[in-house]
Amino acid sequence: MPNAVKSVYDPDILAKTASLSIRARHLVEGYLSGQHKSRHKGSSVEFAEYKDYTPGDEIKHIDWKLVGKTDKYHVKQFEQSTNLKCTILLDASGSMAYTSPLRTSQGMTKMEYAQTLVAALAYIVLHQFDGVGLLTFNDRIVNHIPPRYKPSHFQHIVHGLETLEPRGTTRIGSVINKIIESLPGRSMIILISDLLAPKDNLYKDLKLMRSRGLEIILFHLLHPDELDLPFEGDIVFESLEDDPDIGADPADIRKAYQKIVRGQVDSYKKTFPSLGVDYVFLETSTPLDQALNYYLLRRKSLHKG
Amino acid sequence: MNLNFISPAYLLGILGIGLPILVHLLTRRRQTRIKFSAVYLLLQSKKRSIRRSKPNRLLLLLFRCLAIVCLSLALASPIFSLGPADEFLPPVPSANVFIIDDSYSMGKQAENKTLYAEALLTLAGTLKNISPESSFSLVAASAPARVLLDWVNDRETLLNKIKSSKPSYRTTDIGPAVAEAQKLLEAASQQAKRIFILTDRDKNGWDAKHFPKQAGDSIAVKVMDFSGRQEGRNRAAVTRVTVTQEFLTNSRIVRVKAGVANLLPKKSLRGVPLTLWVNGKKEREISLALPPSSVVDKEFSFPLPGHEAVEGFVAIADDALAADNRRYFTYQPDRKINVLVVDGDPNTVAHQSETFYLERALNPFYGSLSDIEPTISTLDELFNRNLRLYSVIMLCNVRELPIEYELELEEFVVRGGALFVSVGDKVDAKFYNEKMGNLLPVNFESLNRAARRDEPFHFLMEPSEHPVLKLFKGRIRKEMDGIRFFSLYKVSPRTGRTPGIPMRFKNGWPAVVESSFGKGKTILFVSSIDRDWNEFPIQPTFLPWIQRWVKYSARSLGSISQQDLLVGQSFALGEEMDAGGAYFLETLGGRVRLVEKKAGTHGFPPSYRPGVYRVYRSSAAYAAAPQSPREEIVRLPVDAEKIGGFTVNVDTRESNAEKISREEIRKILGAFGSVTTTDFVTQKSGTGMDAKGTPLTTPFLLLMALALFWEGWQVRRE
Repeated sequence: MPNAVKSVYDPDILAKTASLSIRARHLVEGYLSGQHKSRHKGSSVEFAEYKDYTPGDEIKHIDWKLVGKTDKYHVKQFEQSTNLKCTILLDASGSMAYTSPLRTSQGMTKMEYAQTLVAALAYIVLHQFDGVGLLTFNDRIVNHIPPRYKPSHFQHIVHGLETLEPRGTTRIGSVINKIIESLPGRSMIILISDLLAPKDNLYKDLKLMRSRGLEIILFHLLHPDELDLPFEGDIVFESLEDDPDIGADPADIRKAYQKIVRGQVDSYKKTFPSLGVDYVFLETSTPLDQALNYYLLRRKSLHKG
Repeated sequence: MNLNFISPAYLLGILGIGLPILVHLLTRRRQTRIKFSAVYLLLQSKKRSIRRSKPNRLLLLLFRCLAIVCLSLALASPIFSLGPADEFLPPVPSANVFIIDDSYSMGKQAENKTLYAEALLTLAGTLKNISPESSFSLVAASAPARVLLDWVNDRETLLNKIKSSKPSYRTTDIGPAVAEAQKLLEAASQQAKRIFILTDRDKNGWDAKHFPKQAGDSIAVKVMDFSGRQEGRNRAAVTRVTVTQEFLTNSRIVRVKAGVANLLPKKSLRGVPLTLWVNGKKEREISLALPPSSVVDKEFSFPLPGHEAVEGFVAIADDALAADNRRYFTYQPDRKINVLVVDGDPNTVAHQSETFYLERALNPFYGSLSDIEPTISTLDELFNRNLRLYSVIMLCNVRELPIEYELELEEFVVRGGALFVSVGDKVDAKFYNEKMGNLLPVNFESLNRAARRDEPFHFLMEPSEHPVLKLFKGRIRKEMDGIRFFSLYKVSPRTGRTPGIPMRFKNGWPAVVESSFGKGKTILFVSSIDRDWNEFPIQPTFLPWIQRWVKYSARSLGSISQQDLLVGQSFALGEEMDAGGAYFLETLGGRVRLVEKKAGTHGFPPSYRPGVYRVYRSSAAYAAAPQSPREEIVRLPVDAEKIGGFTVNVDTRESNAEKISREEIRKILGAFGSVTTTDFVTQKSGTGMDAKGTPLTTPFLLLMALALFWEGWQVRRE
């Protein structure tokens, strides 16, 4: 990919764009034009068969040319595969609000990165005539925008993202239990979280979702600070959630911390695929096209299937 | 419960905790607060981390402060005790005698003070605890024991008295001091009577014979021992110094022989510097190795071109006790020897006189070079001669002495004078045999003349170690061997006398007879001192021969003016030296005192400070200013002549570090009602004495070490 195009996905550059919707469109349009021809002419508008008109069918679907030839009313039927419903679950707990205090760290914050990612995904899903919804949560459901197919729904999603205020603790399990019944069968779930909470029953809950035919893509999002603990000096760490404050010199615990975090990531990388969950680890410094790329690949495989 | 400090000044060191506090404040790192997302992971990391978190800086500060506080407390020498402060001091009026050991061993160093200063501080502290309306007295326990302060009720008087006092250079003598204290207490009206003995327990000062055998039960004795407070040990002492000179050889070399004792019973001392100081200048310095408990003699020699007296000292490097590290000496080289020559056969023709050759031999250049000053006298003039002015009297061919004059001669020799007798044709052998029995250990048996002129008598010149004859060897001896003697007296020892025969004739008869009488010597030459009976006076060897005999015999007189005294002893002038006039004593520091004449003799006061003292004599009668006491400092008269000097040195018995045990003290003081001992030990606990408190120096030092160890460990981990 040319450098000029690559820079479009760079979080540092995207961060300079104030509007989330513009940022998302910019990102997706740029991505799609550079990737392949638009899915607008794809299978979602392909003709399947005729059927006799029965009252209640949409009049706009009557094939008038055929009426002229046969004097019978027939209605066109299209492929159903375009009717994917995608629900994006966005972690809105306090930990997602992490902002690096280091002067060297610029670009997007973790939440900005997540918001951009959600908006881009929503945009791309709607462009493919799929339905998209947004569910933000912490230890409970904060906001739920059900999936819709209308392009104008994008604005709802963006609005939901822009009014989001991360706070509270992360309880993925409890949220999944609440929504699992209302989720449409054989739909796609995109979970975006930093997973900075005790795992508890995360594996079990995701496994349950998978058993209900839901496709799950898990974007694990971490700030580089959360990976490397690059701080120096005598520091009191205040928790963004409900953990007690802790005073420490990062130099003393850096190695152990890095080992734990990377160990967790490695563990996720091994365990989630075995559960049928697509696990994508993203640092906020990672260009966003990787996430979009991964989604499209996954979407394509679903369509073929 | 009491906590006392022996050196409370060190408590000021606690203020030193301000330093770590200041450092802590200056180096304190600012704590930043960061809002972080993965705090629960940090918690897990902290638990797993091998590198523990940094030590609590406040805790570090606390331990640093603790170390400083512990060090200050340890230096202040805390003594912890349960019970009342001092059971020896009940709250009733009492009569208290303080016996302070002011011997020079109390000058040992204890921290920055002497043991004596420590004792005085303790005394002052004890005074505060004695109930009001008590009376006090002060006795010094150095020889001779003496009452420094009779009964007073005012503590301030006593305090002022002790403030100005210093340890003396005397030896310890506790017994007489206790006897003095007992006498004082017998006169006291209070019921409670106590004796405080402040000492370093030197064993030489605790002679049981000097202690009172009887004492009332009402007198309680407390021995306050400061020996444990001393720092270091008294390792060595200069115990003796002797000065000699090869006076018979006209050598200008003076030899100073010093004895240095190693006072340590088991440890050898190496590299002990020994220095010789002469007339204020360092003359020599050597290094000594001293085996344990031994005295090593070392001899210095140095040239002395002049005839002036030398003064100096031999010193070793200072140890815990400085007083015994220096020993003074003084020496008057080549003293002029005044010789009274009595001519028994004078003649108007000079060379026919008996003493013609002798006079020239004694002083061949008329006093310009020789140290011998002969005075020729006839027998008739003898009564006009003051024998005290002469070192040697030579009787030359004297027929007989005036009536009972032999008694005067005996007295002269007893005092240290020398008598040289030569015979001749005038000599009445009967007189000598009858009257001179004490002075001459031999009888004249017969006058013997050589049968023929060509068969004379000859000296039997054999190698000899006699001080006079040892230089006559080789060619000189051969020359003497050939000297012809034509007449001589045969002598034989008197009954019960064993005279020395340093020279004989070849027939075995004695040629020279030597004997000692009192402090002096008598020398008998059995032939004439002129040419009447022999050819000796015209031989080259005659001059050194006679000069050496004179110098040899006069040597004993030298000791009179070179007395080595111990501290506390008095210089004895002696009648033989007392030539009238006024005597002055120049003490240390150049102060001059007139020596008062008592009972016809000049009584020099005892000297209590080591050093060299000079004695001057003024022929004119000295009249001191009426307003000044006789022993006050005076100005030396213009005509005052230095007649000698003497040295005063410390008695090194006091140097011995041996201590008397508590049991022995109790036994010696058994006559008293109760005896308690208090050990002012901080460093050395468990010495067998009754410690009234537990010294806490060691625990505080250990605590300090622990605190520093912990602090260091924590910082090292960081």
